[in-house]
Amino acid sequence: MILTLAGREWRAGLLTPLGWVLLAANQAVLGWTFLQVLERFTGLEAAKRSVGLTLELSLNLWGFAAALSLLSAPLLAARMFAGERHEGSASLLGAAPVAVAELVLGKYLGLVGLLTLVCLIPVLLALTLTGAVGLDPGLLASATLGLWLATLFFAAVGLFASSLSAQPGVALVAAYGILILFSVVGQAGRVLSRNIGLFDWLSWNEHLLWFLIGAVRLSDIAYYSLFTALFLALTHRRLANRRLV
Amino acid sequence: MSSLLRVTDLARDYCGHTALTGVDLALERGSVLGLLGPNGAGKTTCLQVLSGNLAPSAGTLSICGIDLVQAPLRAKRHLGYLPERPPLYPEMRVDEYLEFCARLHRIPRRQVAAAVSRAKSRCALDEVGRRLLAKLSRGYRQRLGLAQAIIHEPDLVILDEPTEGLDPEQIREVRLLIRELSAHCGVILSSHILPEVQEVCTQVLILRNGRPVHQGRLASQREQHRSGAFRVRLDRPPPIAELVRLPTVASALTGGDGLLRIDLAPGLPPSALARSLVEAGYGLRELTPERTDLERIYFETLGLDPGPANLPSAPLPQDQSGPDLSAVGGAS
Repeated sequence: MILTLAGREWRAGLLTPLGWVLLAANQAVLGWTFLQVLERFTGLEAAKRSVGLTLELSLNLWGFAAALSLLSAPLLAARMFAGERHEGSASLLGAAPVAVAELVLGKYLGLVGLLTLVCLIPVLLALTLTGAVGLDPGLLASATLGLWLATLFFAAVGLFASSLSAQPGVALVAAYGILILFSVVGQAGRVLSRNIGLFDWLSWNEHLLWFLIGAVRLSDIAYYSLFTALFLALTHRRLANRRLV
Repeated sequence: MSSLLRVTDLARDYCGHTALTGVDLALERGSVLGLLGPNGAGKTTCLQVLSGNLAPSAGTLSICGIDLVQAPLRAKRHLGYLPERPPLYPEMRVDEYLEFCARLHRIPRRQVAAAVSRAKSRCALDEVGRRLLAKLSRGYRQRLGLAQAIIHEPDLVILDEPTEGLDPEQIREVRLLIRELSAHCGVILSSHILPEVQEVCTQVLILRNGRPVHQGRLASQREQHRSGAFRVRLDRPPPIAELVRLPTVASALTGGDGLLRIDLAPGLPPSALARSLVEAGYGLRELTPERTDLERIYFETLGLDPGPANLPSAPLPQDQSGPDLSAVGGAS
C-alpha cells in the first residue's frame, strides 16, 4: 500500500508542470553555480588556491543545492495533504482501508523520490568533469549524503505543514516558517549567549557543514533522522486527530 | 444475523457545535436509505462519519458487524463512498485512476484489471478509459466517482448526491445502477430531489439541525398510485355525504381553505373523477394529485408549506359551466 501511494505521488509529480519546472529551475541555477565555481577556481594561480576543487564544489554547489532543496520541498509537499483536502480527493483516502501510517509513509516516499532527483543534479554536474580533473569521490559522497539527509528533513517538515491546513498556500508559508526557524536558530544562540550550544545543535545547516567538508558523523546523522522522524510522527498525529476535531 | 449497518446514538461535534446527534440506524442488504434534509441539516456530516472520514463524538457504528471506530481498516473494506464532489486526480487517466482505487481498496493485483473493466462497464465508462480526468465532463466525473465507490464490490455503498450535475438520461442510468446495487448490498444516498428518493429508496431518514426528525419505510410508487388521492376545489361544494355517493369517490375529507381531499375509487382513472364532478354540476375549479407520501412527510415534518403538487394529473373533460374550467389549468 505504501508503494502504491508513493508511486501515485511520484507519477503525479512527473505528470504535472510543477515537478518539471522545479527540476528545470534547480538545474539552471545549479549549472550556473557550477560554472561560477569552476571559473573562479581556474582563474586563481595554484599558489593562491587554499582548498581543492572538490571542496570548493562541495561547499558551494552542494551547499547551494541544499538551499534550493529547502525551497523546493515545501512546494512539492503542499499538495500532498493540503492540496488533496482542497481538491476534495482526501475523502477517497479517508474512506479506503488505508492506515494513517501507510498514508504518511506513502506520501513521504513519493515526495522524497521527487526530491532525490534534485539531490542528484550536483552529482551529475560533477560527473561532467570526469577525465578532466581528479575529484575526491569520498568527499562528494559525503556531501551528497548530507544533502540527501537534509532533504529528508525538509520533506518531513513540508509534509507536516501540509497536514495543518486545507489551503496549500497556508501550508507553504507554515513550512517555510518552520524551516527558516531551524535555519536561523543558530544565529539566535550566538546573539543570546556564546555558551548555549543547544541553538547551534538545532540548526540544520551546522550539521550539513560537517558533511560538506567530508566528515560523516553519527551525531549529524542522528540529528537529521531524529527531526525527520519527529515531523513524520507529528504529521501522523495531526492526521489522526483531524478525524476527531 | 447482524445488520449490514448498525448505528446507535451517533453524534458529532465541531468545537462545541453539535452538527449531528441522536442518529440510530439499521440497514439490511437490499435496502436503500434516503437521507433528506434542508441545507445545513447535517447530511454530509452524517455521511462523512458513516464513511470513516470523520470520527463520531459519541455513539457506535458497525459495518457488517465490525466496529468502524475500533477496527477501521477491516470495516472500510466493506464500504464504498462517493462524496459530494467526486474525489478525482485531474492528471490521471480513467483506467489509471480506477487501477489506483482498486489497489487502494486492496484488490489483489491479479484481479485489478477485471475489477476496473467491470466498474467501467457498470458505469458506462468503457469509451473514456484513456481520457484524462481533467478533460472529463461533469457527468463523466460523477460516473467515475460512482465507479471508484463500487470497484471493490462493497457491501455498503454511501452516495452523497449521486445525480448532481447529470442530465436526465444519466440520472435514469444512475437510478437503475442504484437499484441494481441494492440487489446485493445496502445503499445510503443523500439527495435534495424528493421524487428521486421516493423512486429508489426503501426507507428514509430526515434530518433537521443535525437531529433525526423522521425515520421510516417508504411506500413504493405502485402503492402511492394505488392510493389515488386528489386535492379538489369546487365552486359549489356539496356536503361530504353527498360527495361520497358518487361512484368515482371512495372517500372524501374537507380540508382548510375550501379544499377537499378525495380518494379515487379503486380501478378508475382520474379522468373519471373529473367527469363525474363536472357532470354533477359542482363547478370543478381545481383537481390536483395529492402530494406523494414522501413529499407530504417531508414538508409536514419540517413544518413547511408544501405548495402545489408537481405530479401530472389526468386531462379534464369539458364542463358546461365554461369559465370554471379555465381555472383547471392549475391542476398540473
